[in-house]
Amino acid sequence: MANKILRKLTGITLSAVLAAGMLVGCGGGAAAPAADGAADASAPTEAAATEAAAEASSDAGSDAAASGSGEMLTIFNSKMEIQDQMEAMAEKYSEEKGVDVEVYYSSDTVAAHLSTRYASGEPYVLSMVDAKDIYSLAAEHALDLSDQDWVKDTSSAIAVDGKTYGFPVCVEARGVIYNADAIKAITGKDFVPADYATLDAFSALLDELKAGGMETPVGIMKEDWSLGAHYLAEVYEQREDPDAFVKALNDGSQKIEDDEKFNSLMDTFDVLKANNYAAASAISAEREVTEQKLAEGEIAFMFGGNWDWSVINAYDYSENMGIMPVPQNTSDGTNEKLVGGGSKYFFIDSSDKVTDGQRQAAKDFLNWLVYEEGGQNFLVTECALVPAFSNITLAVADPLGASVKEYADAGKLIDNYNYLPDDHYAVLGAAFQKYLADQSDRAGFAGEIDKYWTSATLAEH
Amino acid sequence: MDKTKMSYKVSQFLMFAGPAVILFCGTVIIPFIYGLYLTFTSWDGVSKTKPFVGLANYAASFSDTAYWQALVRTVIYSAFSVILINVVAFLLAYLVTSGVKGQNFFRAGFFIPNLIGGIVLGYVWKFVFNRAFVAIGEAISGGTVPSLLSTTGGAMFCLILVSVWQYAGYMMLIYVAGFMSVPESLKEAALIDGCTPSQAMKNVTVPLMRASFVQCIFLSITRCFMVYDMNLSLTKGEPFNSSVMAAMHVYNQAFTYKNYGTGQAEALILFVVCAIVGVTQVYIGKKGEVAA
Repeated sequence: MANKILRKLTGITLSAVLAAGMLVGCGGGAAAPAADGAADASAPTEAAATEAAAEASSDAGSDAAASGSGEMLTIFNSKMEIQDQMEAMAEKYSEEKGVDVEVYYSSDTVAAHLSTRYASGEPYVLSMVDAKDIYSLAAEHALDLSDQDWVKDTSSAIAVDGKTYGFPVCVEARGVIYNADAIKAITGKDFVPADYATLDAFSALLDELKAGGMETPVGIMKEDWSLGAHYLAEVYEQREDPDAFVKALNDGSQKIEDDEKFNSLMDTFDVLKANNYAAASAISAEREVTEQKLAEGEIAFMFGGNWDWSVINAYDYSENMGIMPVPQNTSDGTNEKLVGGGSKYFFIDSSDKVTDGQRQAAKDFLNWLVYEEGGQNFLVTECALVPAFSNITLAVADPLGASVKEYADAGKLIDNYNYLPDDHYAVLGAAFQKYLADQSDRAGFAGEIDKYWTSATLAEH
Repeated sequence: MDKTKMSYKVSQFLMFAGPAVILFCGTVIIPFIYGLYLTFTSWDGVSKTKPFVGLANYAASFSDTAYWQALVRTVIYSAFSVILINVVAFLLAYLVTSGVKGQNFFRAGFFIPNLIGGIVLGYVWKFVFNRAFVAIGEAISGGTVPSLLSTTGGAMFCLILVSVWQYAGYMMLIYVAGFMSVPESLKEAALIDGCTPSQAMKNVTVPLMRASFVQCIFLSITRCFMVYDMNLSLTKGEPFNSSVMAAMHVYNQAFTYKNYGTGQAEALILFVVCAIVGVTQVYIGKKGEVAA
């Protein structure tokens, strides 16, 4: 009899240990993907499934419990370079305004990360996303912000079907970043970007720099987003009607190789490529190394945007840097303008997982950014962003941002084209890398672009 | 109590296996079925509606040439990696069980790469390939040397090399256990009967270690087919998307290009391929197993 009880007890203990073991295992697994959006193909299904496990074990996913409480304002930040500032701001804001602010960051693709949060039923109250995400998310997930005061003070807000959904975080623009000090050290003259707007003048300057001892004055980022989404995209953007052009590429009536703008920009790219410091290993050049060389004046030019400041300022940078339009032999004025506009947008979640109180807290936060000194300071001084609101007059702290603001204030910005298909940058970025590595010529590259567009599905808008 | 009664058996089963079964269903079976359902929809990952599209995603998967290229690439990568991992692991295991001085130190040393996560390992090796090797190459040749990672063949070579480095130590442990499980008396008997040491190895030790081989090959096949983390941090698919493995393509398809249904369908195809290869290998391996 005693034996029997003993055996039963052992059995219960064993199975309890087993169950506890399983739960501990799951608890760890549940917390991880929610917190950092583990780069895993099955992440959303995992997150959905582990919800069940999270209910069973009380210690799993502490942030899951937190996001459900009271007036917690959860903010998703997708700008890695301002995460530290965001966290410091959250602490200060919480103290001053009595609203609990939590800031999250993920290095995942924005859409991928948000989809895991939606799959697990824990959306952020306020999410910072890219323009194209607003178009795909707005109708179902975003709150209509048309009645907010700040709408009248910006030209960059995103509206879909007449309703404003996206709050522009900042203005960003692309062009050729230059190191004026490095140029002056060789030419002896102050560098005036406007003098080198044409490719001929620009090439002559490169030759002068080379003669003066800077053997390779240019750096090229090999990243597919830089080549595909930033440089190649200018081919679509630097024209009257990008939509019509893309549609023509899509139905095959326009071949990219016949396009003047494509050839003009590729002519410039050829000059950049010929002067690339990493010509022999163009596609293994590391971004940090390139930007360090630019910052320290070993090279003088690199195609990029004002976001590159977050990399450059990690090094011993020169005082006088800035962004100029991509030089081209053209008379259409595009070589006097940067390409860019609003970048990164906040939207407020409209689902029933978020309370009206939380939504109000998010609206207050956005107004704080635009209209209160603390918010303006945070955006412009602490994060060194170029504000997208006309009422903010604070001077932009970093030289690249100051350049962009100058062009923006003068109305010399060509708008971003936000409707490229999602796989555009990856597929054509890879084709562009081949061109950069001399594994295909211009005709081959153009052929790949034509082929891509004729089989692409255009984003609806 | 009647131990042959059905109710007794059921309660015994539930007591021991119940929690595990419930959790296994919750974390594996149900998501799998849900995933299967998603392959019949054109869901984009965030939308509230999941429009039913029938077999369209499978049709899209079969006509997605980039996916099939990635799959072929994965098969080639796996073939090389699996063979090399197991050859290296077996030799290492032989080395550290042969009574060489400091063999426990070597065991720990060879195993350590496996303790470093795939992401970190990828970044570490990326640095080695892009900076260290290039610097050495330039010092020797005097000219500029492109990084191995910037050529299509080189990137594949790097992936295989790093996988072998990572997994050989882990598989080594299983082979060590295999070596230790072969009774000394059998080996001794073989030697007394006139076998040379290499004959004893080939005819006695290796056949008795068959279970270790089956296990190691199965583990390395499945891991190589599903490789993602190291692929992401070491090459990120570069140069020109020529080192994108199947799992990475699935991820891109589902999340980056927002074709969730198609990505899910491609994941399922990958699963089926992997399962067929794995099960076939285990079946063939088990058939000829000898008991010691």
